Amino acid sequence: MKGKVDPMSARAVGIAGTPWRGKLREYDLFKELTVGVSVMVVLTVILALVLGSPDEPSVTLKSWANAQTADFAATATAELGGTSETAQYGPPYTNTKGATQTIGALDLQSLSGVQLPVNTANAFVLDPLATLPNQPTEIATWRAATKAEQAKWTDTYATALSKAPKSAPLNVKSGNYGPVPALIGDLTAMAQSGALDGVIQAQGNAYNLNYTNEILFLGDGQYFQNLAADQHLTGDQWGMMNETGGTPGQSWLWLFSFFYQIPPFSTAPNADLLVVGVMLILTLLLALVPFIPWLRRIPKWIPVHRLVWKDYYRKR
Amino acid sequence: MNTLLLAMGDSPGIYLGWGVFTIQLGNLIIILTMLALFGLALVLPFPGSGGRK
Repeated sequence: MKGKVDPMSARAVGIAGTPWRGKLREYDLFKELTVGVSVMVVLTVILALVLGSPDEPSVTLKSWANAQTADFAATATAELGGTSETAQYGPPYTNTKGATQTIGALDLQSLSGVQLPVNTANAFVLDPLATLPNQPTEIATWRAATKAEQAKWTDTYATALSKAPKSAPLNVKSGNYGPVPALIGDLTAMAQSGALDGVIQAQGNAYNLNYTNEILFLGDGQYFQNLAADQHLTGDQWGMMNETGGTPGQSWLWLFSFFYQIPPFSTAPNADLLVVGVMLILTLLLALVPFIPWLRRIPKWIPVHRLVWKDYYRKR
Repeated sequence: MNTLLLAMGDSPGIYLGWGVFTIQLGNLIIILTMLALFGLALVLPFPGSGGRK
């Protein structure tokens, strides 16, 4: 495993064809690999023992509906009424007007189009309920109603739910909510049993790898948001560079995360687009350093390279 | 020591903050270690640089 200068390189053209006239040194690749891997294994084990590993239990619709039934019911009502965040997100899920992030006429979000259309009432509430052995008759009542009736039912039920003691569905005062309480009650029971997770994830394949709908549903509720906030994972908590527990996260995303913490980005409705734009400009500046007069003089003011290649500069 | 390890493993992490700056202890350790290694690489002589030539 000893490396040597390749005699064939002498036949190459240009600078590659110039024979090496400097000193030669033995180089043991096997030894370097063994030492490198051994050091990394020891470091990994020590750091895993000290800092822990990210092994949080999965958050599911079942765990949500059992832990915070009121939040699940309120979110399900918003999905049914089409007022949830997902239902009004815009591309790639919906066609909602004015929902996209823009800078002037620049509207990158709309460029993709609606690639993953989601009708939250059907995908998260009605279709799953239709898979039950005893299909609720309220599904037919809902589908037969006009858009205005549906909106009125969900609006009044959502208001009543928020005013009920502990926001619990069982504590809601009687009123004209149409089939909504029955639909939400059945969906909550389905979620608490775990059946809803299976139905929403089912894609007709043996292995389900697409969790988009389940994550969208979870993300619309407060329960999931609060779990993330408790672990310092939300955007305004530098969450982009954090991991669950004490495990180090993506510390290389510090600059990306930083912009989300300061005005105007922290309060802008189009923060994602602004931050990506700023990072794009900074990346271009870095890539074009040799061509930017004042920027390329920095190594002269802060000559770190003279420390890195101190042997070379000492002999000059 | 075991109690400390268990406590760190179960906690939501230790976070240090100054104003808008918040950093997880694990991330801080990694960043400081990288800076220390960079500094050491600058000042320490390359092993064997004066030997086999």
